[in-house]
Amino acid sequence: MLNKLALSGIKHRIRDYSVLFSGLMIASAIFYMFMSLATNQAFLSSNSPASATSFIFGFGIVLLAIITIVYVNYANTFLLSMRQKEYGMFMMLGAKSSKISKMIFVETFAIGAISTIIGTLIGIVATGFVSRWLISALDMQVKHFSSFYLPAFLWTLLFFVVIFMFSAIKNSISLRRSKVLTLLNRDSQPVKIKRNGVMKSIQAVLGLILLAIGYFAMWYAGNNPGFIMMGIPIALVTIVGGTYFTINSFVTAVLVMLKKNTKYSQKGLNNFTLSQLSFRINDYTKILAMVSMMFALALGAITVGLGFNNQIDNVVNGQNYYDVQITNPDAAQTKRLKSLNIEKKDTYNYKIDGQNIYYRASEFKKQPIGYAQMNTETMQFKLKTSNDPAKNTNAQYELMNARLPSQRTMKVSFVGDAEYNAVNAKGSSLVLVKTNSFKDNLPVIKQISKAEITRYPSLKDAGGDKYSSYTLINGFFSGLEFMGFFLGIAFLAMLASCLMFKILSGANGDVKRYNMLYKIGTQQKILRSAINKEIAILFSVPAILGIVHVLIGLQLFVKILYKPYAHIEIPFAIFLVLYLAYYFLTRYLYKKIVLK
Amino acid sequence: MQKIVEVKNVEKIYGKAGEKQFKALSDVNFEVKPGEFVGIMGASGSGKTTLLNILSTLDTPTSGQVQIAGQDITKLNNNQMADFRSKKIGFIFQDFNLLENLTAYENIALPLALQNASVKKIKPAVMSISEKLGLTDILNHYPTELSGGQKQRVAAARALVHEPSIVFGDEPTGALDSKSARALLDTLTKINREDNVSILLVTHDPFSASFCDRILFIKDGEIGQELKKEDSSRAEYYQEILDSLGTFAE
Repeated sequence: MLNKLALSGIKHRIRDYSVLFSGLMIASAIFYMFMSLATNQAFLSSNSPASATSFIFGFGIVLLAIITIVYVNYANTFLLSMRQKEYGMFMMLGAKSSKISKMIFVETFAIGAISTIIGTLIGIVATGFVSRWLISALDMQVKHFSSFYLPAFLWTLLFFVVIFMFSAIKNSISLRRSKVLTLLNRDSQPVKIKRNGVMKSIQAVLGLILLAIGYFAMWYAGNNPGFIMMGIPIALVTIVGGTYFTINSFVTAVLVMLKKNTKYSQKGLNNFTLSQLSFRINDYTKILAMVSMMFALALGAITVGLGFNNQIDNVVNGQNYYDVQITNPDAAQTKRLKSLNIEKKDTYNYKIDGQNIYYRASEFKKQPIGYAQMNTETMQFKLKTSNDPAKNTNAQYELMNARLPSQRTMKVSFVGDAEYNAVNAKGSSLVLVKTNSFKDNLPVIKQISKAEITRYPSLKDAGGDKYSSYTLINGFFSGLEFMGFFLGIAFLAMLASCLMFKILSGANGDVKRYNMLYKIGTQQKILRSAINKEIAILFSVPAILGIVHVLIGLQLFVKILYKPYAHIEIPFAIFLVLYLAYYFLTRYLYKKIVLK
Repeated sequence: MQKIVEVKNVEKIYGKAGEKQFKALSDVNFEVKPGEFVGIMGASGSGKTTLLNILSTLDTPTSGQVQIAGQDITKLNNNQMADFRSKKIGFIFQDFNLLENLTAYENIALPLALQNASVKKIKPAVMSISEKLGLTDILNHYPTELSGGQKQRVAAARALVHEPSIVFGDEPTGALDSKSARALLDTLTKINREDNVSILLVTHDPFSASFCDRILFIKDGEIGQELKKEDSSRAEYYQEILDSLGTFAE
C-alpha cells in the first residue's frame, strides 16, 4: 500500500521528476561520452602526443568525476526536498521509519539506475552526433573514434551505480534520523540570521587579496614559464579561496549597500528581492563559488581549445613560406595553379649529377627565394626573402623541403650560368607558389598536393610541403581542441544544472512567500519580474567571476599559444548562449513551482 | 451614507456544469458601513472563508454583485484586482504571513513600496502606524526574533499602513495566546474607534467576535442571523453570542 502511495506521489510531481531524470541522464551521457574518449587508447595515441594526452585526460577524468559527484549530490537534495513532506506524512500516520528509509533507498537507487542506463544509451548516440559535428565544424582529423566503446560503457555504469548507492544510503539515513515534525515543517523553518559585520569585512578584504595573488601568479607564470609548476597550484588555491570569500562577503556587502539606498530598495519588490538574495547568498556561497570555478575551467577549456585552432595557422605558416610546390609541372598541375590566388610565384631550374645538385644563382638574384623563420621563444615567425641562398641556411632548408625526398640529402651548389650549362644532365624545374591565403585556397592546394603524390609516390610519407605539415599539425592540435571543447561543454551543462537544482530545491519554501505577496496585491507581472531578477543575479555572480578568471587565466598561455586572446568572442558567445538557455529553463521551472 | 461593502445576491458554486456541483454560498446579502466593526461567524465549512476570498478579490462569485468602496470588484481583471487589493484592502492572516527575510519595518513598508510610493512618504507612514501599535522598538528585528503577539501587530501595521478602505481579518487571533489575542483585539477596536477604519473579521471564536459592533452568522452558505451589540457591554454581548451560537447550531 505504501509503495502504491509513494508511486502516486511521483505521478503528481511528474514535471519535477522529469527535470530530475533529464538532469541525471545528461550527467551519465556526458560521463560516458568523456570516458569513451579518455579510455580509448587507440584514439588518444593517434591524435595527440602520448604523454601530454594521458596527463590531460587523467586530469579531465578526475575533474569530471568530482563535478559529477557534486552534481548527483545536488540532484539528490532536490529529490529529498520533494519527498520529505510526503514521507513525513506516512510516518505521522504510523509507517515505521525502517520501512520509510527502505522506500527512499529503493526510490533513489531506482531513479539513479534508470537514468544511468537511459543516459548512457543517449551518450552513445550523442557521441556519434557530437563527434561528427565537431569534426566537420572544426575541420578536425580525428581517427579511431567510434561511438560505442565497451570499457567506457562499463566504467560509466560502475561509477554511477557506486555514487547512487551512496546517495541512496545517505538519503535513507537522513530520513531515519529526522524527526517527523522536522520533515513535515522543513519548508517553514525560520532561517537563522547571521549578522557579523567585522567578519564579513575581513572576508571581503581577504577575498580580494587572495584573488589578486592568484591573478598575479597566473600572469607571472604565463610570462615566466619556469615558474609554471609553482604558479598553477598557487593560483588554484588562492583563486578558489578568493572566490569563496568574495561571494560570501563582497556580494553581501553590495546587497546591503543597495538595501541602504532606500530610493532603490523601497521601490516595488526590490527590497524583497535584495533580502531574498542576501539570505540566499549565505546558503549559496559554496555552490556559487564552485560554479564560478567550474565556469572558469569550462570556458577556459573551450577558449584554449579554440586557441589551438588559431595555433594551427601560426605553426603551419611558420613551417613553409610557399603554399604549393610542384616538380616539373605537367599540364594538369599547371591548370590547377591557375585557379589559385597567387601572391608570389617562383620557378627554379636545377640539374642532378650523381650526388650533386646544381641551381643557377642568377635565377635567385632575379626572383629571391622566400623562407619562414620561426623564433622558438616567442613562437612568432617572420617571412623573409633571400637572393643569395648559398649564404642562408634557412633559405636552403626551405629549398630542400621543396625537393623530392631522394634529392634532399644531395650536395647543393649555386653556380653561374656558364657552369650550370656545362653540367651534363637533364634539367628539371621547381615551381613554388605563395597564395594570398593558405586557408582560403586550401581545397585547390589539397588537390595539387595529392596530384604530386600520385606523380611522385615517394612524397607520400616524406611530406615537406605545406599541406602535409598542415595535415600533421591539424591532427595534432585537433585532438587538444576536441578535448577542450568537449570538457568545456560537459562542465557547463553540469555546473549550470547544479545551480538549477540548488535554486529549484529552495522553490518549495518560496511558495508561501509569493502567495502572500500575491494576496496583498502584487501583480503577477511584478512577481515574475522579481523572480527573473533574483535568478538572473544568482546566475550572473558566478558568470562574472568566472569570466574574469578566464580573461586573466589566459595569461598562463601567452607563451604557449599564439595570441591566446584572438577570436575570444567565439568561445565566449557559444558558452554564454548555452548558459543563458539554462537560466531561462531555471526561471521557467521556478515560476511553475512558485506561482499558482 | 455610502457603504464600504455591499454584497448583493452573491452565489458561489464549485464544480463545472454537468459535473457534481457544490454550492458554497447561496444568495448572500449584507453591507458594511464606514467605520463599522463587523464579524462573520460560522463553523468550519460554513462558507466563511469562501466569502472572505470573494470579498478580498482572491476569488470571484458565480453570480451576484460585490461593491467595495463604491467599486464593483466582480468586474475587474487580474491586474486590476491586484491593484485593488494593494490600495483598498488590508489583510491580517491567522498565521501572520510575514516575510521572514525582511525586518519588521520592511514588512510594514511593503504595501507602500508596491504602490511605488516615494521614500519621503513611506517613512512617516510606517513610523506613525508603528507608534500607534507600539512597535517602534522592534522595527529593526526580523520576524523570527519576535513573539507571536508582536508578529501579529506587525501584520496589523502592514494591513493599515496604506490606509485601506477596509481591513479583513481571517481568524487573526487564531495563533495567539489569550493575552496577546486580547491585546490585538483592543488595538483593533482602538483603531476602529479613533481612526474610523472599517474592519471585517472572520472568526469562529466568540471572544474575538464580542469585540465587533455587529455579527453575521453564516451556515451552509447562507447568512442566517444578525446580532447587534448596540448598548450592551462586551460581557453581555459575549453571552448573547454564545446563546445565538447555541440556537443557530440547531
